[in-house]
Amino acid sequence: MLFQFEGVTKKYGAVTALDNLSVAVPTGAIGLLGPNGSGKTTMIRALLGLIPIDKGSGEILGMDFNRQQLDIRRVVGFAPENECLFPRVEGVEFVAYAGELVGMNAKDALQRSHEVLDYVGLGEARYRKVESYSTGMKQRLKLASAIIHDPKLLILDEPTNGMDPAGRDEILELTRDLAHNKGMSLLFSSHLLPDIETVCDYVVLLGGGKLLTEGSIQQLKQVHNRSFELRLKGDSTAFAQQLSNLGCTTELRDDLLLVQIPDSHSSQMLWEVAAQQQQQIRYLRPQRSTLEEVFLKAVEKT
Amino acid sequence: MPIFDQGYQHWSGQLSGHAWSWLTIARHGVRIGSKGRALRLLLLISWIPALLLVFLLCLWGLLERKSGVVAPLLQFLTFLHPEIIADPRHYRLEVWTICYDYFLLTELRFSMIVVLLVGPNLISQDLRYNALPLYFSRPLRRIDYFIGKLGVIVIFLGRIIILPCLIAYFLGLLFSLDISILRDTYRLLLASIVYGLVISLSAGLLVLALSSLSRNSRYVALFWLGIWFVSSVVGGVLETADREQRQHAMYQTLSPPKSFNYGPQSSPDQFNQQMAWHRARQKAFENFHAEEFRAAKGNWRPLASYTANLSRVGQQLLGTNAAWEKLGQLQPPGQREQFLLLFMGPQFPWIWSAAVLFGLFGLSACILSFQVKSLDRLK
Repeated sequence: MLFQFEGVTKKYGAVTALDNLSVAVPTGAIGLLGPNGSGKTTMIRALLGLIPIDKGSGEILGMDFNRQQLDIRRVVGFAPENECLFPRVEGVEFVAYAGELVGMNAKDALQRSHEVLDYVGLGEARYRKVESYSTGMKQRLKLASAIIHDPKLLILDEPTNGMDPAGRDEILELTRDLAHNKGMSLLFSSHLLPDIETVCDYVVLLGGGKLLTEGSIQQLKQVHNRSFELRLKGDSTAFAQQLSNLGCTTELRDDLLLVQIPDSHSSQMLWEVAAQQQQQIRYLRPQRSTLEEVFLKAVEKT
Repeated sequence: MPIFDQGYQHWSGQLSGHAWSWLTIARHGVRIGSKGRALRLLLLISWIPALLLVFLLCLWGLLERKSGVVAPLLQFLTFLHPEIIADPRHYRLEVWTICYDYFLLTELRFSMIVVLLVGPNLISQDLRYNALPLYFSRPLRRIDYFIGKLGVIVIFLGRIIILPCLIAYFLGLLFSLDISILRDTYRLLLASIVYGLVISLSAGLLVLALSSLSRNSRYVALFWLGIWFVSSVVGGVLETADREQRQHAMYQTLSPPKSFNYGPQSSPDQFNQQMAWHRARQKAFENFHAEEFRAAKGNWRPLASYTANLSRVGQQLLGTNAAWEKLGQLQPPGQREQFLLLFMGPQFPWIWSAAVLFGLFGLSACILSFQVKSLDRLK
């Protein structure tokens, strides 16, 4: 188990950021999804023991986050959403300083700083002042600072915010590599669904401080046995009309026809109708939910 | 092929506990602070008084040994009482104390400028660049953060206050070639170290508190200037106004009689009257100085000045007043108060100043505790 919350409540004055939240998350690459104000950042801060919680308990990597904050922060790397880079230091110096703050000795921290800067692709810019870095470079520098002590869990809070597509791809590729090839668990907080889908295997969806849904992405994007996407060689309109007459629900989306078959029929009816109309089915596959649909459905419930 | 394909290596080194994480913060702050050219220049200049202190202590050591090296310099020491020159060993502690007192008074001014250059950025920069998560998401506590930041000030001030005191002491010791100097003056060395720490901790915590109040370090610098400069001016003005008032009252009682004739044709009566008036005037001045000396013991006005409070505590630690009193014994009885008044400065109870500094210390700690509360207060 990577972390679990049991009835955790955290309020900021009248605002309830986490509302009796209970969740248990396995190790791996975890996406933390939710609209703005859903409690993602508060959840991360509670995990790191950065804020006191009002009620409930929980643990991360087997450590109680109410009592073992310092031990937790020793094995967790965190890259916050904000820039948090102060000027007048070189990249390599900044990362080494982050390592020393965790407890690495100065020599190890400097050596390791060079290694991780190479890994994140900032090797050439290591002696530049951090204020001269671009947004993408700053994000990679934060990532390097978070992984300098080789944490068991890496927490990234909105790491692709404000980045151009190329920089975003680089960050996603790096984090995916860390999570899938380097044995580092990852908690990736974002409201960008494609980012989560690219990097993570498991998703926790928050809304209004509550757990809306959780599960592996493969499970959430389940196959619908009675919904199909198909493409015809010829005119789809008459085809769709006949299916509607037979009780199907149809929707034409660009050149794709989305069909939902009633329980009384099977997918065989699609072939039968095509044969009747002498149409060729060029493409047919069962419809899958997208993460976006899962997200929207869950948010609608709240 | 992207560079990051070079691969990621796991690290299996040992992490130390958080006990020394403050030192990391302090070391980093000193490294960043030392990059400033103005600060480096100031640190260099602030060692000039230290050289003078070393010179004086070494000179006194040679004087005690009646070394021929100092013979040509004796003509420049005529401002000293002949008895002191005749038996310099007897007045060793007093001379050393006064030298240290002047040195520390000068360094106190330098330390205020050093704090002005180093202090404002310490926390306000972290607030401005949202850098607090960099610290608090790592295994360190708020107290480690504060001690680390305070350490930056203590290290810089230690370099210009404590370190020169130590060096001067050991050089003075070497030049006197007399082991009894240790017995006589070890308290002075300890006192100067303690005083250096008092300045560093008080000014350090105060500037940290100010630094936590604003994200703009320029405002913090202005706050600091206000506390240092304006409070000194206010203290000085209050003191001067009070003294002028008493002086004015004295002069009113001394206005010469209207029948005064200062010309050569003055009669014997007039001459006697004139002489009596001059004697009365002389007496009034002596009384005024004695009265000033007594008034100084209860004069609270310097308390308005931050540096005067530090200075007063320093005087107490070093025993400067006792040294001046001993030297004052060499003065004629009528001039003793005037001498002491001239050199001893404020005589109000040192505990008042200690209370003011302690109050500021507590206030600073409260401000820091309230302003830097972990990440609860951050965006």
